[in-house]
Amino acid sequence: MRVIIGLTLLRARGRIIALSLGFAVFIMLVGLSYASVDQNAIRTLIEQLPPALRALAGASDLASPAGYLGAAFLHPVPLTILGVLVISITSSVTRDRESGAADLLLSRPLPPHRWLAGQTIALAIALGIVGTAGMLGGILARSVVADLGSVSTRGVAAAGLGAMLLFAAIAGVSLFIAVIVPRGAQAVGWASGFVVASYALNYLAQVWTPVDVVAPLSVFHHFEPGGIVAAGALPWSSALTLLGVAVGGVAAAHVAIDRREIGGT
Amino acid sequence: MATLAIDARHLTKRYGAERGIDDVTLRVEQGARFGFLGPNGAGKTTFIRLALGLLHPQDGSLSVLGHDIRTDRMRALAEVGYLPGELGLYASLTGRRTLDVLGSLHPRPAVARAELCDLLDMAEADLRRKVRQYSRGMKQKLGLIAALQHLPPLAILDEPSGGLDPLIQLRLIDWLRERSEQGMTVFFSSHVLAEVEALCDRVAMVREGRLLMVRGIDELGIGRIRSVDVRFASAVDPERYRATGVQDVRVSDDGRTHRFTLSSPPGSLIAALDRLDVEDLVISRMSLEDAVRVHYDGPPPT
Repeated sequence: MRVIIGLTLLRARGRIIALSLGFAVFIMLVGLSYASVDQNAIRTLIEQLPPALRALAGASDLASPAGYLGAAFLHPVPLTILGVLVISITSSVTRDRESGAADLLLSRPLPPHRWLAGQTIALAIALGIVGTAGMLGGILARSVVADLGSVSTRGVAAAGLGAMLLFAAIAGVSLFIAVIVPRGAQAVGWASGFVVASYALNYLAQVWTPVDVVAPLSVFHHFEPGGIVAAGALPWSSALTLLGVAVGGVAAAHVAIDRREIGGT
Repeated sequence: MATLAIDARHLTKRYGAERGIDDVTLRVEQGARFGFLGPNGAGKTTFIRLALGLLHPQDGSLSVLGHDIRTDRMRALAEVGYLPGELGLYASLTGRRTLDVLGSLHPRPAVARAELCDLLDMAEADLRRKVRQYSRGMKQKLGLIAALQHLPPLAILDEPSGGLDPLIQLRLIDWLRERSEQGMTVFFSSHVLAEVEALCDRVAMVREGRLLMVRGIDELGIGRIRSVDVRFASAVDPERYRATGVQDVRVSDDGRTHRFTLSSPPGSLIAALDRLDVEDLVISRMSLEDAVRVHYDGPPPT
């Protein structure tokens, strides 16, 4: 299995480095920009926004140091960075079957579930590296910008961990999708669709009360970084829910892979 | 009774309404050099993928060197070296890294890597390059080295000579023959009949998913039987020249061009043809291609 972990990380190393740098720099820049923020002006601006736009800022106070830094973890840039990382690695399961690379590996005495386990562990390592980079970017900004002094290192670390758990949940679902669909493009499409639908559901629940009841079905409902940074801890219920989705998705993928045939004709 | 290298019984695999292979029973003895022939879509690759457990049959059973591919797949694969017909190599890896990765997934040590690199003209500098820079022939060589570097007891090679230059093909065939004499079983699927003829001691032919026949190369009469093409000035009834050993006569629509096999010395045939108005006559030793044609072409022989 170590061979597969190494192979997966080796193939993704360029992406891991670039996305880590991107995530760290983005979170750090957002943190650094807080030095130039007029808190009252931001509050006034947000209050003037229609509710539909205000919901995009999340539930926490965007003008507060914790809310401002926390919001960076739910900005489209980090969402894209982590989404690209997770979906590109999980979809390689399908793309390798499609290209015939899986034939080469699985015609050796390597059970499909061990092949998948190797890729899962590699994905967890990659997500850990990129997530930690973002976390470090936030911690660095916090230590440089005096106005962020009220934010704890623990809070930033918890938000980074929360982002990793959110994308671990997305990875679990994406991995299952990657195992059951026959084409790489389908794996990317369905996984991206899941992320978008989940985000949209959470957003709709904030602006339209009838949808509120199904909001917990969205993985984004269980990640509120502003609150996490302010509290300095990740709520256990959210962490367990996201972890449960991740483990459930991975388990389902492992059951499915042993039942599937590899590749086409 | 010795364990068979491949023992397939009533193997059936369908893709929806389409047939992959249908009720194929095939036994390949250890140490054999076995050619697996058939046109595209005949079911050759499906059979190979079933033999590796990459596909699951709807019916029938298959064991590799005594290991049932469904219940004991890992032990079966530990004895196999496989070259796919369509190689899916990782473009971002170097040749050496590819061999290392694939080698480390196999329990047998890669004892023959250096020998195969020499044989196939795969230099150290080539192995240091990324696979995306390789030509088709280089990729094929890499696939062959990966498949054979462990000296597996059973080598399953799907179209192994694709992209290789003729000299390398000959070297490969010689190497496989040598290894087969030392006990390696070679299961060889190819469109290049000349190389099957040069290497294999036994062949199977498949068509539309069904096994047409399994024969020893000797039984096909290659070299011993002759292939005859005659063109007459006007339409001729084959009965007018039929001599001892004339078989499988096929006549063109205009009745002037006749093709048949001849399993006895040609003297009596030539005497019979001498009485007819022959425009052209070609008598050649039968090749595997002729034998294949007999089994694949048109209506049944007269």
